[in-house]
Amino acid sequence: MEPLLSVRGLTVTFGSFTAVEDVSFDIHAGQTLAVVGESGSGKSVTALSIMRLVELGTRGKIERGEILFRTPDGDMIDLVQQSEDAMRAIRGNQISMIFQEPLTSLNPVYSVGDQVAEAVILHQGLDKDAANERVLEMFRLVRIPEAEKRMAQFPHEMSGGMRQRVMIAMALSCDPKVLIADEPTTALDVTIQAQILGLMRDLREQTGAAVLIITHDMGVVAEVADDVVVMNRARVVERGSATQIFESAAEPYTKALLASVPRLGSMAGRDEPAPFDLVEYQS
Amino acid sequence: MNHITARVAWSLGLILAVIVMCFTLIHLAPGDVAIVIAGDSGAGDPEVIAEIREDLGLDDPFLVQLGGYVGDVAQGDLGTSYRFNEPVTELIVTRLWPTFLLVGTAVSFAIVLGVLVGVFTARRPESPISHGVTVFSLTGYSMPVFWTGLLLVIMFASNVQWFPVSGMRDVRLEGNWLEEWIDVAHHLVLPAITLGVIYLAQYSRLSRASMLEVLQSDYVRTARAKGLAERRVVYKHALRNAVIPVVTVAGLQFGQMLSGALLVETVFNWPGLGRLAADSVFQRDAPVLLGILILSSTLVVIINILTDVVYRLIDPRIRVGGASQ
Repeated sequence: MEPLLSVRGLTVTFGSFTAVEDVSFDIHAGQTLAVVGESGSGKSVTALSIMRLVELGTRGKIERGEILFRTPDGDMIDLVQQSEDAMRAIRGNQISMIFQEPLTSLNPVYSVGDQVAEAVILHQGLDKDAANERVLEMFRLVRIPEAEKRMAQFPHEMSGGMRQRVMIAMALSCDPKVLIADEPTTALDVTIQAQILGLMRDLREQTGAAVLIITHDMGVVAEVADDVVVMNRARVVERGSATQIFESAAEPYTKALLASVPRLGSMAGRDEPAPFDLVEYQS
Repeated sequence: MNHITARVAWSLGLILAVIVMCFTLIHLAPGDVAIVIAGDSGAGDPEVIAEIREDLGLDDPFLVQLGGYVGDVAQGDLGTSYRFNEPVTELIVTRLWPTFLLVGTAVSFAIVLGVLVGVFTARRPESPISHGVTVFSLTGYSMPVFWTGLLLVIMFASNVQWFPVSGMRDVRLEGNWLEEWIDVAHHLVLPAITLGVIYLAQYSRLSRASMLEVLQSDYVRTARAKGLAERRVVYKHALRNAVIPVVTVAGLQFGQMLSGALLVETVFNWPGLGRLAADSVFQRDAPVLLGILILSSTLVVIINILTDVVYRLIDPRIRVGGASQ
């Protein structure tokens, strides 16, 4: 089956610094691909490059590579070659994104309902009332209690978990084909993390969207991913299905990432956590 | 609304304190108005002076004078001018609107243009225009108001004669109301620019810095990720957040702008409160001076309350519990 999104040889620079180098992966419809790696490994820049947001508001530049996306008409287009106008029609509509910090990712001076409705009005051409109806439907879908009342609230009046549900509702409001979630649970506490991951999994099954989840948390990967791409120092160091990665990781860096997940009883007989070895990926 | 009611109540106390302080300061100031009035009328002998002092109640104990004044002010009576022998309220009212017109125009000019320039330069921080605006802003900020005024008069009223040198109206003009308004607007250009340019420089710098910060924020990235056009991202999502510091500073600076108006009105012979205040200082016309001080303080207090209201309209985080999160 042809992939829905295919990143090939992507290289992104910030001046003389190379943030992403020769990264390739495919995502198929209905599949969840996790891109994992430590901070600064190039995961978020890869995601922002797919949205072509790396060139807006940052000094990033896509130097090489292709980002092929299958449109609803079945054509494969290279997002790197699209004009800014064409990308605006794709962003938030066919490919949408959820960010790490739901408080700062929502505009503090507009109600959450208006912020979600804005995307619906823009891409689906609905009037205000119809857009509000759609927002209400989305809020119920992401299980926001008292959805109608919540629509008029501002981000600071909501809890972290509720804000992230709003972000998910916003991202899914136009039925995107690809959902990119950049560390969607990092800023949330553990019980809310589990709820949000469960919600994302359910929604993927309902909508059939492809999900690209970016995380440094192998626990999250185990929870949701079908396939995994491991990144370190701007490059892909290992890729495979989630089962392969967890059962028989080949690279020392991937093994170290897996070993960094705390396990119940790992402190038995110790006063302090054991220092772990730094693993450098040698290309 | 409770917060605003509390602010109004506090403000009334503040205005009372200002009245007491101003009255005390003027009472303690050297010089005797009776001597000035007697000197003007050509009779400087002690009996006339004593008579004038008695008429004006200047021999009463300080607290009696203060109590009487506060009571009168509470009833809207600011006294009678020693100099013009007219009610202070009437004198102030006739001079109030030219000052309002001048300060209002200067504030609007400074805020609107300052924010637009700030947004423009924040979107293109490295462009030659942005650097040019920075130099212009620093120059505008560094120039004293009276010097800017004189410079503009020499350049645009004397050399090229695009605008009148001074005054508010052309006395020779006999036209309908529209022609009169155009004439006033023509006279207003140079004084308003003179008063506004220093604030324009500040607001453009402030909104540039604020906009640069806001454009890097996560919610601007979210707005872009929604597929919004850059213009909408900037003018809807970023601007409303970026103007919050400008509104705060503009509200706080209103008092300074009123003092600036005094200098500008003097340079351009603009018939406003500033000139009336300056004249009343030289002529020791205490009731007029006191009236203007009380009015200015009240205006500053009102503008601060309005700033508070505007602040709350812009930023909903401040509506909750009176504090920003």
